[in-house]
Formats: sequence, structure tokens, C-alpha cells
Amino acid sequence: MSKRPDYVPEHIRERLIHDPRVAEQDLKVEVQEGRVLLGGNVATPQIRDRITEVARELLPDYQIVNETTVVPSGEPDDEEPVS
Amino acid sequence: MIRIAAVGDLHYGAGSTDILRPSLDRLPERADLLLLAGDLTRCGGTDEISVLADDLRRARLPVVAVLGNHDYQSNMEDDVRRVLEDAGVTVLEGEAVTLEINGRTVGVAGTKGFGGGFRGAHGTDFGEPEMKAFVGHTKMLADRLEQALNSLRADFRVALLHYSPIETTLEGERLEIYPFLGSYLLAQAIDNAGADLVFHGHAHHGTEKGRTPAGIPVRNVAQPVIRHAYNVYTLGTAPSAVVHPSKEAPAALRTGTGSSA
Ligand SMILES: [Fe+2]
Ligand SMILES: [Fe+2]
Repeated sequence: MSKRPDYVPEHIRERLIHDPRVAEQDLKVEVQEGRVLLGGNVATPQIRDRITEVARELLPDYQIVNETTVVPSGEPDDEEPVS
Repeated sequence: MIRIAAVGDLHYGAGSTDILRPSLDRLPERADLLLLAGDLTRCGGTDEISVLADDLRRARLPVVAVLGNHDYQSNMEDDVRRVLEDAGVTVLEGEAVTLEINGRTVGVAGTKGFGGGFRGAHGTDFGEPEMKAFVGHTKMLADRLEQALNSLRADFRVALLHYSPIETTLEGERLEIYPFLGSYLLAQAIDNAGADLVFHGHAHHGTEKGRTPAGIPVRNVAQPVIRHAYNVYTLGTAPSAVVHPSKEAPAALRTGTGSSA
């Protein structure tokens, strides 16, 4: 990648938004000395894995640390009486 | 009492593990109506929306949806809409629908909505054509929402959006992106026309609860915010909620909803 290091996180973010395997707009990306830190909420474990996959393709020489969390999606316990 | 299940930002993808399917069978016992607040797909593909449509075809309750920005990504929003409609889902864009539930009527007016920002810091349709188009789009959708809400003659009126009408439900998002998350013009439209409850999605890192400047409750039901397959909200639970004079006494309304399971 011929990008200045200052712009690498934004470059990854852009790719994660446009790669149809991920298409996530809300991911946090940090790059520190050979490590890429990925954070934020994802819907499924599959997407979590694909994020690592896309980041690894982009930066094969970096260590990818995927700290994204899979959001729970069980049934709610109760209901909210709004009015 | 009307029980409304709502969720947004399901972001279905082709072949993805879906969020709704495991709970759809039991949903009719929990709710009378399911509202989907946009971003139903990851990239707006018909293959993606078909996964959700197949789930919803089996749902034994009325489903009303608006689309979100992700559902426009492939420029196939008309096809996305058609796939949903073929599965029996009512898709709203500047339109309204009235449903009869438990002898009462619920009207839902829906729009994707759009951005611009909030009071004191809203973009203006001034200068470049791109800026005029951006803010003009929000104005047009807000006007249509107001008309759709005004057209409803129902016991309860609900506004269903993708973008947020208020700032409170965005708390947790970065301030810099607020103009891309919603617009006060949507809240103004809702406050002008009146409504009992407003739903939106889009702000994945936002907060669930807020109110419009006129005090109408707003719920951000983006799936990462509610952290459930859906949430259920009830209208007509409190005696004060009887908006239109009714022959039924409030007590009778309450006993009619005896099951607390
Ligand atoms: Fe979304
Ligand atoms: Fe969205």
C-alpha cells in the first residue's frame, strides 16, 4: 500500500464500507506500529471474520487485532408501555 | 392496547446468519404489528432482501417497513421494495397505512428521511447544486411525511423513519457526523402533524429513547442499540393514552389486556 501512514486507517475504513462482504459504516480503525486495531459493533460472527479477512488482504504485513463485538439479538424480556 | 414490535438496521446479507428468523414464530404472541426502520440489507441487493422476505413471508402478523440508505446502495431500491411487497410487507415512502388491531386503528406514516443536522446547525439549500440537492431532498421527504401523518384518521398515529428526527437518540455517535444521521426538519414535520410515537434507526451507536421538541416519544430501534431481535412498545396502556374520546372506560381497556406473560 503506497499510502502515508496518517491516512492508512481511513483507507481501511473506506474499504470496509465498500466491500460487500462487510459494508459496515461504523467501524473504528487504528494503526499502531505494525498492528491494525479494529473496533465497533457487528451483527454476526461471520461479518466479524470477514472484517479480519478484508483487513488482512489490505495490509498483509500487519498484525490484525479484531476487537469488534457481536451484538446480541435475542428476544426482549418485556415490553415498554409508551402511553 | 396495541403492541408494536420494532427494529431497524437488520442489514441482511446473502447467506448471512439472520437476526429475525429464530424469533419470528413466537412474535405474534408478543406483538400485533412489526415495524422495520430501514437498512434491511447490507448493500441493497435483491439477493439480500430476498433472505429477509423469505423470513417475513412466514410471519403471522402485519409488517410495515421503510427503506434505509443501505437499501439504496445498488440503485435497486424499487426492486428491493417489490421483493418486500411480494412477501406481503407494506413499504412506505411518504405514504401512510392504517391497520385495525384489536378493534382499534393504528396509522403508520413512513419515510426514509435524510440528513442535514439539527436546530442551530442545519445545512442550507444554498450555493452549489449538490448542497441544494442534499437539503432539498430532506425538505421534500419531511413535507411528504407531514402530509402522510395529516392524512391519517386513526386511534394511534406512528411515524416510521430511518434517519433520526432528534439529537437525543444520537448520543454515543460522533458529533461531526450528526448532519449525516438526521434532520430536525423531520421532527418539525412530526410535531406539526402530531403523532403518538416515532421510530427510527440508522444511528448504530446512538441511544434508544428521546422526545421531539413538542414531547412526542422517539425510539431509536437500530438493532445494535436495542441489542435484541426487536423491542416491543405498547400504546393505549395508560388511561391518558386514549387520544380520542372512547366509549370504553380506561379500566375496561386495561382488563382487556390481562395477560402479562
Ligand atoms: Fe444501518
Ligand atoms: Fe442507515
